[in-house]
Amino acid sequence: MILCGAVILVRMLPYAGAGLAILPGVVLAGAMIALGLHRILLILRARRTS
Amino acid sequence: MASAASKTAQPELRRSVTPWGSFAWGYSDVGADIFVGLGLVLAWAAGASNVAFLFAGVVYVCIGLAYTELAATYPVAGGGQYFVMRGLGDIFGFIAGWAVLLDFTIDVTLFAWSSVDYTSQLVPALVNSVHPWLHFIVVLGLVVGLCLLNVVGVRESTTFNGFVSALDVMSETCILCFGFLFAFRPHLLVHAMQFNWPTPYELMLGTSLAIVSFVGLESISQAAQETQRPASIIPRTSVALILTILIFALSYSNLALGLHPWHPIVDAAGHPIQFWQIFPHNADNQGKAVALLAAQVPIWGAFAALYVPVLGAVLLLISSNSGVFGSSRIAYAMSTTDLLPSVFKRVHARFRTPAISIVFFSTIAVVELLFAAGPALFPSVGSLYAEFFHGENGLEFLADLYAFGAATSYSFVFLALIGLRLTDPLSPRKFKIPLNLPLRFRGERVEFPVIAVVGFLGIFSILLFTLRTHPLGRVFGPSWLLLGLILYIAYRRHRRLPLLRSERRDWRSAQVDILRRAGELELMDEYVANVRASDARRAAKGT
Repeated sequence: MILCGAVILVRMLPYAGAGLAILPGVVLAGAMIALGLHRILLILRARRTS
Repeated sequence: MASAASKTAQPELRRSVTPWGSFAWGYSDVGADIFVGLGLVLAWAAGASNVAFLFAGVVYVCIGLAYTELAATYPVAGGGQYFVMRGLGDIFGFIAGWAVLLDFTIDVTLFAWSSVDYTSQLVPALVNSVHPWLHFIVVLGLVVGLCLLNVVGVRESTTFNGFVSALDVMSETCILCFGFLFAFRPHLLVHAMQFNWPTPYELMLGTSLAIVSFVGLESISQAAQETQRPASIIPRTSVALILTILIFALSYSNLALGLHPWHPIVDAAGHPIQFWQIFPHNADNQGKAVALLAAQVPIWGAFAALYVPVLGAVLLLISSNSGVFGSSRIAYAMSTTDLLPSVFKRVHARFRTPAISIVFFSTIAVVELLFAAGPALFPSVGSLYAEFFHGENGLEFLADLYAFGAATSYSFVFLALIGLRLTDPLSPRKFKIPLNLPLRFRGERVEFPVIAVVGFLGIFSILLFTLRTHPLGRVFGPSWLLLGLILYIAYRRHRRLPLLRSERRDWRSAQVDILRRAGELELMDEYVANVRASDARRAAKGT
């Protein structure tokens, strides 16, 4: 998930000159990275408690 | 308090839903929405579809966080109407619950309709514009069938929900990964946004339709009622659910705008067009957008073209069933708190299900189906719609009402969250929406939720967009609320209950009972300690 978000972010960045048009793509990439991190944190917390 | 706990010895729901089961429950409700919403939004918001989804998505995240906090604090199945009744009073609780009931009945028809649309991708005889009567009969058959199954008491199991949800998450992830890797062209996305930006009216309409992709958060509170230790489990599963749904909605809209089709798409004149351009003025395509997109993803599309329509149809049917089941459950909850007549909580002697409630709301779903299918079935009705309602099609009619009901009930939920933070600061909140302003209210330290204000402004603006841009929604939505209010006043007058004021209820005992039943004994002890400390402080001030 984090990798997928990073790929989208990298592919959108060359079009940064288009201004607001890349915002939804950047938010999507950010949300993917956030969800990936959230899952990893959950797994780490579960391992720590078990 | 202890007496109240022992007094209520009614049969209660078994708490057997696991964290994955809780996620799957929510996902099978909200996850199906993108199958319906994507085509409608692409048709109206065109190059700004991703912006419409982004705006609706931000509002949805706020709503999701509000539901998570409320469901973890008050784990009861009543959902939005319970929170609103507790935070704002009986009449507002009724309005929110009645709006949720509208959504659930629309849910039944809209998702059964879309389920048939997805099936039509493999069975062309079911295409609505070609065989409207056959399409109508199959949708009607599904609604009646689901009604009968619910009356008899047959429900899909949590395991089945979990299996379909897991399959769908994997499938959508594959479609999006393959799509973004092999078919996504950022320059097409930027081009679509710069040269096909919609008019303000179309953008408002698209945004109000985008909220359709995020409806169904009632399932969070319904799952809370049946989850062991909900205060701990619900926040974890809800945050994952909210982010997953948001990512899918944003991904699909961005991919659809920047998709380089695997197979060339041409218009009637033979000129190549972009993928999203197949949706405006084509209700058949709008109803099965995800299946059409999946088929255009290189390599995976050859396989996806076969299974995505089936998977979509099954997921939509589960969602449709949750409408039948959910409406009867909400009506049951409302009648136990004297917001609806007691007939809605009457249980069938043989099947032990709220049969009257199920049949009543399924009948309303059938009436809504008649309104939606009318223009396609009868040309005279079609011309009437064209003259007075901008010629809306059946899918748009259902989506109109769906958006209206959701925006109304969610607006009240935000107000209820603010109200409960102020009037019930003693209830332990294991999950709190971030960004709070500490202040004092009636002698207690409270935290004012800033995000709730932002969310309320967002969802209220979507409600205004709905009323401004949906000619059918602004007539039928408020009419539904008016009808409900007449029913409410007549019932309360008949029972000699206060009309505009609320009944007196012992919320403290109720809260202890709720936490005890949920197995949250530590939180129950914390709540009792908070109440005692608060009473002691007040007594000290009084002396």
